Amino acid sequence: MYLVANIDQEICAATSCKLCTQYCPEANTIQYDTEAGKDKGLKYGSAYVAVDRCKGCAQCVWVCDNMAKHKAIKMEMIDQIGDQALTPNITYQEKNTKAVLASPWQS
Amino acid sequence: MSLDYVKFTPGFGKFMPKEYRDMVEHGPFGKKTAVSQVGTFKEIMEEHPMCAGCAMTLFIRLAFIAFPNPEDTITVGTAGCGRLAISQAAVPFVYGNYGDQNGVASGLSRGLRLRFGDKPKDVVVMAGDGGMADIGFAQTLHSWFRKEKFTTIMLDNEVYGNTGGQESGMTNKGQVLKMAPLGKKFEKMDMLGMAKVAGCAYVATVVPNNPRRVESVIKKAILIAREVGPTYIQAYTSCNIEYAIPTDQVMQDAKDVENDRYKFQEYITDEAKEHLATLYGYKEYLPKPAAAVTKG
Ligand SMILES: Cc1ncc(C[n+]2csc(CCOP(=O)(O)OP(=O)(O)O)c2C)c(N)n1
Ligand code: SF4
Repeated sequence: MYLVANIDQEICAATSCKLCTQYCPEANTIQYDTEAGKDKGLKYGSAYVAVDRCKGCAQCVWVCDNMAKHKAIKMEMIDQIGDQALTPNITYQEKNTKAVLASPWQS
Repeated sequence: MSLDYVKFTPGFGKFMPKEYRDMVEHGPFGKKTAVSQVGTFKEIMEEHPMCAGCAMTLFIRLAFIAFPNPEDTITVGTAGCGRLAISQAAVPFVYGNYGDQNGVASGLSRGLRLRFGDKPKDVVVMAGDGGMADIGFAQTLHSWFRKEKFTTIMLDNEVYGNTGGQESGMTNKGQVLKMAPLGKKFEKMDMLGMAKVAGCAYVATVVPNNPRRVESVIKKAILIAREVGPTYIQAYTSCNIEYAIPTDQVMQDAKDVENDRYKFQEYITDEAKEHLATLYGYKEYLPKPAAAVTKG
């Protein structure tokens, strides 16, 4: 098993910093869903990780902890985080992306 | 080399991989995309074998986002780590022999000018410090002396990364590396000074821990190279393997190095300022209104 980044939507959607999306070295990996969390009354939408592209470097964790100071990202074992965003289930919309969450183990 | 080359032949779209369809439909081609919007559009760089947490990868990713017209751009590279990522993008990539990149780019940019006249076609060289300051040194400097109109970007990781840790001209004095066990005996080369002496119209240093600045210097460098002259960007893109930087400390290192020896520097000629102001609306370079004459 290996570690991937996992973003806490409750914390992320309460801010709108988007810093992690600019600092992940991998392209198309930290995506942004401007609607995420709005059903729970959170304001801004949330970043999420396409786990099949994440290389587990934890740079986003450093950026979220030290630059944004939100502490919304943790490295977790990929088999312990349930349903995740996978590239085949991500759709690009106008100025937004959306993922249908699925388990990385069934596809 | 035009917007058409990314589009599908009618009827064939459905056979294309999802990533390709996303790129055509939601990529940056023909639009103005910015670093501030990442995560909401499809980037043109795809998966590649660069190491986890590599700052060079981050820089190259930001560079592709910053290209003013990716559909009218050709990248040129050479042996070294960077090409592993630069080649995995939907922008034509020319792989020069080791050190040949600025010679190849010279011919290419002249050819494109002959073929396409005034329509801007951007040529961007991205190569390592070894490829540019050591092996390709003569070709790099001569392209500047000849005032070749394209952008040269050094991916400066201060080591030959791809071949396992030899010192380069850009390594710092005293640095011990796997294959420089006694430490480097000479100073880091002043490529910025040489770029100015050789006649570059725009010279800047940048560190990827400031994505917006990376975007801004790359845009300026490419736009200036279209008509004014050669432009040079020197980017600190640490090698976390050869310098043993834990991947979650790569941005801390970038910050430390920026404060130490990679402070932001930008040099721009008056001609280049005028070009950016008049053709591309850069307000900061518009001539200042003459100060009101004080009555005496
Ligand atoms: C003519 C020639 N000589 C040597 C090599 C072997 N070689 C491949 S990559 C490389 C080092 C690259 O170092 P640098 O340009 O600093 O880029 P980095 O890998 O550090 O990004 C060398 C020496 C080659 N490919 N061609
Ligand atoms: S761990 Fe690294 S590769 Fe994965 S999302 Fe974070 S920054 Fe990107």
